[in-house]
Parts: sequence; C-alpha cells; structure tokens
Amino acid sequence: MAYSVNISVEAPIENEIQEITFDGQEIYKTPPTLSEHLTKIAQKIDFGKTNDEENAKDPTENCEKVDEDNKDPANFQSPNWPWESLRNKLREAYTELCVLADVLAIAKDKRYLVLDPMPRDSTETSKPLVQINAKKKALGLVASILTTGTERMKVNLNEQARTRSPDFHIELLRLRQNWRLKKVGNAIIGDLSYRTAGSKFSQSGMFEITKAEDDEKPVTSPSESPNPNAVVPSNKNVSALRVTIPPELEGIAYIEVLCKKDQEALSSANITWLNSGSGNTIDPDTHWQQKLEAAQNVLFCKELFSQLAREAVQSTSPIPHMVVGNRIMATILPGIQLIIILRHSTGGEKKPVPQNTDHDHVLEHSLHQLLREVHYKNTHHTFPHPSSAPLGPSKRRCLAGPTAADRHELVEMTKSQTLLEQIIQQAQHAFMRLRIGYVLDTLAKEVKDPLIVSHWTCYNSPTQSSVKINLVTHGYDQLSKTSMILHIYEKSLKCICKDGRVMNLSYEPQELRDLIMYQIYQHQISTVQGLAKCMGWQVLGNSNGLGLGPVELLGNASSCILASPNGDRIISMRCEPQFGIAVSIAHSPRKDFFPGQLVKERKWENLGGSFKEVRWDKMEGKNFINKVEMLMASLTSS
Amino acid sequence: MGEPIGTAMDSLTAALKSKIIPNQEYFLQGSVMDTAVQVLLHRLRGLCDNLDSGAESFHDHEMCFSIRKGPPPEQGLSLRVRRAFDYLDAPWQLRYIGQPEIGDKSQPTMVRSSLDIACSSTIVEFLTELGCRLDFECILRGYMFRKGRMKITVSKVFKMVQGKTPDGMEAISQSYLVELSVLAPSGQNAIAEDIKIFADQLKPLVQFEKINYFTRPH
Repeated sequence: MAYSVNISVEAPIENEIQEITFDGQEIYKTPPTLSEHLTKIAQKIDFGKTNDEENAKDPTENCEKVDEDNKDPANFQSPNWPWESLRNKLREAYTELCVLADVLAIAKDKRYLVLDPMPRDSTETSKPLVQINAKKKALGLVASILTTGTERMKVNLNEQARTRSPDFHIELLRLRQNWRLKKVGNAIIGDLSYRTAGSKFSQSGMFEITKAEDDEKPVTSPSESPNPNAVVPSNKNVSALRVTIPPELEGIAYIEVLCKKDQEALSSANITWLNSGSGNTIDPDTHWQQKLEAAQNVLFCKELFSQLAREAVQSTSPIPHMVVGNRIMATILPGIQLIIILRHSTGGEKKPVPQNTDHDHVLEHSLHQLLREVHYKNTHHTFPHPSSAPLGPSKRRCLAGPTAADRHELVEMTKSQTLLEQIIQQAQHAFMRLRIGYVLDTLAKEVKDPLIVSHWTCYNSPTQSSVKINLVTHGYDQLSKTSMILHIYEKSLKCICKDGRVMNLSYEPQELRDLIMYQIYQHQISTVQGLAKCMGWQVLGNSNGLGLGPVELLGNASSCILASPNGDRIISMRCEPQFGIAVSIAHSPRKDFFPGQLVKERKWENLGGSFKEVRWDKMEGKNFINKVEMLMASLTSS
Repeated sequence: MGEPIGTAMDSLTAALKSKIIPNQEYFLQGSVMDTAVQVLLHRLRGLCDNLDSGAESFHDHEMCFSIRKGPPPEQGLSLRVRRAFDYLDAPWQLRYIGQPEIGDKSQPTMVRSSLDIACSSTIVEFLTELGCRLDFECILRGYMFRKGRMKITVSKVFKMVQGKTPDGMEAISQSYLVELSVLAPSGQNAIAEDIKIFADQLKPLVQFEKINYFTRPH
C-alpha cells in the first residue's frame, strides 16, 4: 500500500434525485430518516459471514452456513416489511444454534457421535489414488475392529450357553465322585443303598442316570424346533443329568418318635396323622444331589423301621409291642407308651406338615445313630492276631477256647441288645430324667426350709445320668449340708445318702419324694446339733429312728435333746415327716419352788422337770434353725 | 445234661458232613521286592475295605513242629504255632496246613485244608511232650488287609537267630511275601474266582502263580 493515495469519501450533500420531470424539475428523494437508515444498514449485515469466520472450526456448521448463504438472496428479494430479512436471519441463526447445541449434547456423550478434527488440507492436496488407498486402509481398520468385536461377543455367548446347560460328562464325573455307578449295557446304573457301608437291608437302591436333554425337549418345545434359548431361561440350574429313582424311594421320609402318656392322646395323634401323609415333596427340578440324598434317607428310614418292626414282633416282653401299619407301639413304663412312626410322603400335593410338638428329636437321632452303629459293626471287624487266625470271630470268642469258657459265658457272648430294646431303654431313661426333674423342682418349690438345690451333671450317657441334691438351711450353709447323689437309670434310681447308705428306688416318683422328705428332717436335726456345738449347748442324746410316738408312714421320727451350757435348761425336739416339728423345753431347777407332798426339798428339782411345748409357729425367726438359735439365746440369757 | 457223652464228636462230624466248617483255604501267593512294597501297599489301601484308620500291622512269631511216624522217607505231620508279638494278650494259634492242591488250569487258585485252633502259650510244651520236634521258626512282620472275606497279608520273613533277641533278626530275602487267602467250607469255588480277580488287579506289581513253594525233596 505504499502508493496509496488518500481519498476522502463523503456522502454528497445533495439528496439523491429520484425523478426528473419533463419540465426539468428534479424531484429529490427525501433523505432517509434515522430509523430508515438503521434498517438499511442492518439489512446489509451478513450474519452468516461473521459466524463463518468465528466458528470456522466446526465443519458441520460450516456446511450449513454455506447452504444458508445460498438461500439468503431469495430472502433479500422480497422484503415485505422493513425488518423481515433481519428477523429471518436471526431465526435461522437461532435454529442453527439449537441444532448446534443438540449436536454438541450428542457428541458429548460419545456414544453415537464422535467429533474429530477435520484434516483440512488432505482432501485438497492428496491425489485420487492416494485417497482411495487411504480409504481402503481405513475401511480395513474398521472391518478388523468390527470382526474382533463380533468374535468377542461370540465367545461370550458360547460361554454363557455352556454355563447354563452344563456338560453331561462333567456332571457325570461329579456324580461319580460321590455315588457308586456302573455301566450296564447302554444304561448307567447307580446304587444309593448303604450296602457298602454295612447295611444288610434287602431293598435295592438302584437309580438310573440319563441325559437330561433327551427327555426335556419334548416337554418344553413340542414343535421339536431346536431352540436352546427357549429351554435355558426357563429354569436357571438345569442339570445335564437326569436321575431316575425307584418310585418307592421318592419323596421325603422320617421317623417320628413320640412318648405318650395315655390312650386319649394316642387316638388324637391318629387323626392328625391321617392327613399329614404328605410332606414337603421334592420338586421335579431339584438338583440330583439333593434328590439322591433324599432317596437315600428314605431307604435308611425304611431299613430302620423294618428292623425295629421285626424286633418288635420277635421280642418277648411282658407287654407285647404292637406293630400296626407303619407304627410301632411299645410300653416303656406303666401308662407311658413309646410310639415310633415311619412317615413317608410321596404324593404331589404340597401341604405343610403339621409339626407334632411331641416329636422327640433326641430319640430320633439316637435311632439313626444306633442303626449306623450296626452298619459300622457289620463292616469293621477286628483283625486277627496272630495274622494266621481266621477273620471273623471277635477277640473274646478267640479267647474263649484257651480260657475254657463255659456254656454260660458263650451264651452271654451271643447276646446282644436289639435296636428296639436300646431305644426303649433310652426312652425310659429320658422319661425318668424328666420325672425326677419334675419331682425335685416341685419339692424345691414346696419346701422352703431347708433349701433343696439340685445339680445335674451335664455329661450323661443315653441311659444313665446323675444328679446331686444338696439340702442347706438359708443362712447356715456352712454349719451343715446334707447331700445326696441320685443315679438315674432306665427304670430305677439309686440314691447314695450322706451317711453312705445306698437306696434303690423304683420308677415311682412318690418313693423319691418320701426319701427326700425323710432326708429333710434328718437334715434339720443334724443342723440343730451343729448349731448346739457353736452355741455351747450340750447334745444329751439324739436318735434318727425314734421308736416312740405315733407310727409314721414314712420312716421314723428323729429327735434330739440339748442341754444349755449351765445345764438348767433342756430343749427337746422331735421331727417327723408327717406331723412336722415339735419342740419342748424344761427348766431345772425351776425358779419358784413350792414344797409339796411328794417333793419336799428343792434339791430334787435338779433331776429335771416336766417339759412344756413351745408354740413353734409363734417363735421369731426366718426358718427352723433360726428359731432354734433364738430359743437357745433366750434360754441362755434368762 | 441228659444227653450222651458222644454229642460233641457227633455234632462235629455232622458239621463236617454238612460242610459248614471252613476248613479249606483258597489261596494265592506271590512276592514283591522291598523297593516296590510301598507301591503295593498304596494300591492295597485303595482296593481293600475300611482303611480309614490305616493298614493293620502285625508282628508274629511262627514255629513249625513236626512229628514222624516212621523213618525219614515218610512225610511227617507238621503243625504250626503262631503268636503275636504286638498283642501279648491274644491267644496263640495252632494250625494244621495240608498239602496244597494245585489243580488243573481251570482252578484259579490253590486249595489246601487248614485247621485253626486258638490255644494258650502252653501249646509248645504240650507239643514237645507229644514228641514233636521243632523244625524251624521264623518271624513275620508286615501288614494285613481285608476285602470282604479275603485276607491279604504282605509280610517280610525273618530268620530267628539263636541266642539273639528278636530285634537282632535278619531278613531271609529282599522281598515281601504277599498272600491272598479265604477260609471257606469245601466246594465253594466261586470264592476262588474272586481271589483270582483280585489278584489280577495287583498284576504288574505282583505276579500270583500257582506254584507249590512247599514241596521239597525229602
């Protein structure tokens, strides 16, 4: 611009001529008003161009701008009113901005649209051949990306399909790890019986294994169209194996054990049982493991029950056991029956089992345990020593020859308790334990003086337990304690008292009650003697079995006579289980002496006087010993 | 009490006739080298019954007595006495073993008659008093297994060195004696088949053959 000349451009002062009339008169255009001028200038603004310059980077917009520029002239040509073109432009600009905003919003997500910087020069500079090459390359890249993606998806799908419908052989392998299988012809047969574990039950536990798909397809899709997607989602844990168990082992079984007191309860149990025939039935789609376990349990329960039933029929007990249908009834104690029921539910109806609250879980468990023991003994024989000795006979029988065992010993060796006998003994013991516990608890509730404390051993065998009973007087625990040990067996009790005497009691609770009542009065007398020692009183005599007085129903009365430290007071007391405690006191010499016809001198008073009974219920004191202590104290001081 | 005296003998003969006394031993013998015995034991542990508590070991002392009726060419009657060193309270065993019958090819195992009687430790004195002579004695030590009615013993035989304690014994060979045997009443050939099948399962380790190891030229 070195040669540029300064040119001043200014609007002419004169107005523009609009028209020259024929007479030469010039008609001037009226100069535009300020607003007209503004409109004119505004019309000249090219919005598209300015935008173009500012947003040159946006290629999409660029294109749109170009299109708009093409449209613009049309708009210029027919302005209907002064601001129209401007309005149109602004509206278009607004539309464009809206579109831009939408595009940006979509591009921001990066899901559907990706913005890339546009190579500006490549299209212009590269030759067509290079362009094609580049395009080919790019397309190849895209194709490879797409194919790897599809590969990955395929693998994923396959894996999903495999996990949903597991491999038959893998399943079979897993089955084989836990169950006995063998191949017979084309079929695979398994055995779930306990025969290898020592059972001698005749019923077989055969089951058959088939591929699940073969039976399932006709059920789910009758049109026989192989549509794996239709089968797979229907149930999630479809197994490739199908286990067919014999119908008699289907369902759920358990052994119910009840202890009933009287006949009425029996009949009511009968009614409930009739409609409780169905238990929780097994879903047909259950996993084979659960199915087989349930079937095995059914077999086990059946074996247990048939063994018990056989024993019940064969046994020669004074009150014969009854076997009716699937229940065994045995009298364990007079008036108390043990009922063992085999419950087996095979029906398809799904009714909740009415839980019988009397069901004895412990005895049920013991029954299972007893049969398992039998199984164990059937398989686990002791090895002979020396090794040349024959397998089979027990060590006791091997020794029977050399030790010249007699017939009696040999017969004893062959004797063994049947399962039923053992379970009856356990039931008897369980019942006895309950009964003794009840007697002790009620006695402890009834008798507050002395206190009865019973300690049950926490370890006990199924047929023997023991309880220690302590009698203590509240507040005088250190002075004297009477303790007894009670061994509870199946039908009898053995009580070892403090003095070492052993009492054998029967199952009648009254006997134990009487014994404890007797012990209570013994305890009172022995505690009084202990107290007398502490108080300095002298025990003149005592007897645990006093032969005097009215005849007692339960044992004899016990008594003792105590003399005060200086010998002028005598307390006599008599405890008897039936009539309670009687206490009398005597003064000698009496404080007031009146010579009479027979006793003329005061010295004869030292021989001892007549006893006066103390009104014991009016005495102060918390318990018997406390009252005796008060009495002693009052007699010593006065 | 009122029964006649002869009852015991009668019932014994009756039992023999009705074939309920297991007096036949079906057996197969073989041997395995010391180096391979662990492998064999491992195999047996897998095949046999109830080994949850491990294999049962034994340590026996065997004495073989014989009594002759005539001069040397005549075969004497031999009786074996066995006792367990590891179970001192177990009875001693007196055993008669007959000549093994090898039989033809169809017979899978050897059979010999066998009688076992448990007795007290005075049996040695008793036999000596009877006129029996101690032929030999040995110590057997090894493991016992069972599979059903079959007894499997894997034992090492040791020489009794006179004047030495049982600890100072020396092994007769560098191998273990493996024996499969079942005691059964006579005529139960199905058992023999079972033994054969079991023997086949131990095949590469032990070759069981029907060889009479006991026939010696007299």
